[in-house]
Amino acid sequence: MSEQDRPPFFGTWRKAYAFAIALFAIEVVLLYAFTLRFS
Amino acid sequence: MNRLDYIVLFATILAIPLYGIWRTYGHPNLRHYLRGDHSIRWGTIGLSVMATQAGPITFLSMPGQAYESGIGFIQNYFGQPFALIVVCAVFVPIYQRLKVYTAYEYLGKRFDQKTRLLGAFLFLVQRGIAGGITIYAPAIILSAVLGWDLNLTIWLAGGFVIAYTVVGGTKIVSLTQRYQILVILVGMALAFGIAVYRLPSDFSFSNALSLAGKMGKLGAVDFSIDPSRRYTFWSGILGGFFLSLSYFGADQSQVQRYLAGGSLRASRIGLLFNAIVKVPMQFLILLLGVMVFLFYQFEKPPIFFNQPTYQRAIERGHGPQLTALETQFDDVFIRKRDALQALPKASAAESETLTAQVREFEAQARTIRDNTKKILVEAGANPKSKDSDYVFITFVLQHLPHGVVGLLVAVIFCATMSATSAVLNALGSTSAIDFYRPLIRPKASDHHYVVATRWLTLAWGLVAIAVASFASLVENLIEAGNILGSVFYGSILGLFLVAFFLRNVRGSAVFFAAVIAQTLVLVLFFTSNIGYLWYNVIGCGLVVLVAPVLQLVLFRNDPPAAIG
Repeated sequence: MSEQDRPPFFGTWRKAYAFAIALFAIEVVLLYAFTLRFS
Repeated sequence: MNRLDYIVLFATILAIPLYGIWRTYGHPNLRHYLRGDHSIRWGTIGLSVMATQAGPITFLSMPGQAYESGIGFIQNYFGQPFALIVVCAVFVPIYQRLKVYTAYEYLGKRFDQKTRLLGAFLFLVQRGIAGGITIYAPAIILSAVLGWDLNLTIWLAGGFVIAYTVVGGTKIVSLTQRYQILVILVGMALAFGIAVYRLPSDFSFSNALSLAGKMGKLGAVDFSIDPSRRYTFWSGILGGFFLSLSYFGADQSQVQRYLAGGSLRASRIGLLFNAIVKVPMQFLILLLGVMVFLFYQFEKPPIFFNQPTYQRAIERGHGPQLTALETQFDDVFIRKRDALQALPKASAAESETLTAQVREFEAQARTIRDNTKKILVEAGANPKSKDSDYVFITFVLQHLPHGVVGLLVAVIFCATMSATSAVLNALGSTSAIDFYRPLIRPKASDHHYVVATRWLTLAWGLVAIAVASFASLVENLIEAGNILGSVFYGSILGLFLVAFFLRNVRGSAVFFAAVIAQTLVLVLFFTSNIGYLWYNVIGCGLVVLVAPVLQLVLFRNDPPAAIG
């Protein structure tokens, strides 16, 4: 992988993907908390 | 709509394409016309991908969906982040490394010419029709509620798009989409703010959410494994994953968006941006629908939002029955509103009784609306889309201030134009690169192919307008669009999955597997009643399972492809 193809803030794309999945997991947890709070 | 609204509407929908033409006018070579230049960065790619996916139906139908059934629909997007990561990790590096203009060009390099043409053909058929539906669906709703001529509305949305897409190619599509989606987000945020502001003053935002929750509108996540439930976490993860993988990995209208600019890094960040923001964005659009629902708990809604259809039934002699239902509806509404207004000051015990009453009145109102629909069907008034599609636009036209109304109608036009421009750009590119160049003029100049792509884009634009003009012959168009996608996407995705993951399978095996799968899906479509989302899984699964078998049994001696 060339230098200009590296992701910003993360050393590898694998870490960037893991970060995106972690954020998505947080979104789902927040949505579930929202469901429990208001249903 | 008054004069201010028309000024806002036309200024918005004209300014963005004109700016785009000013920024991109020139004599591009083929690469620049089909893939843009290096000025297209990840932010533009991210917004462009978002704008392509979020067509007019998202902004017209989603709030109405939440109004009717709550926000559980959000779960349909749960598979998308995973699909986008697979696209980033597997699809994008290969497309970028091979410098292909279309996704189907890759099929030609990996398998053979006939497989490439099959993939491109399936895409052209499906998207050629879907492009017309993208123009028609908002046009039928806007023409109904605004009293505009349907064909004029179709040409207003379609004509501009054809003109600027033909002139500027991929770069203008990406550039205009960036501003169109910003207008859309600002417009939707304004509508959200006004809907909250218009709630009764003794209901705080938190109280309003509690009320919506008690009325069953805020169930965002459902972990149930009951297959009869329409939207669950599991169906969203699985079904959403396959649908998103086909759409983002194998549909040229999306592939062309993230390949724009030619940088692997920009493509990946643009897609990851969508993986992160899609769910929150859809949540806010659905929550806007819930706010509209709450608004109509205190302000009497029409018994049927699609008023032109309702009026047609009255003209056909069903007035007395409808008037009787409307009287019942008004009575239930007043009793429900009184119970709701008593809620903020009620004790805990009173609150439970009042909530039970509100639910009961809501169920009665729903029954009356169902009976109204039956009368409309009996009258042959024949609505072309669900009544919930008219909820949000009715709220906008009747309850938002002038100026904002013009902006929100511009939002619908911007969404139509951005989605349609991506589709036309992809249809023109695929016809030129996958059919015209290899089959008709293999060794012409770059300039010749740019001109050919422009003519083909224009031709597809006229096809889309023709489809939109004749679309009224088909029942429930929006549903038809979804079905069409599901019928063709599975086989196309299967071709790509075999290409990426089954290295030993070659052209003839995968070609005939895709033909068998597509034929079987079409037979199922015409003869069975299974849910249409399953066609996608069946088509894809058949290609992936049948191709290796055919390779082993019938095509063992096929030569390997140029690339593995």
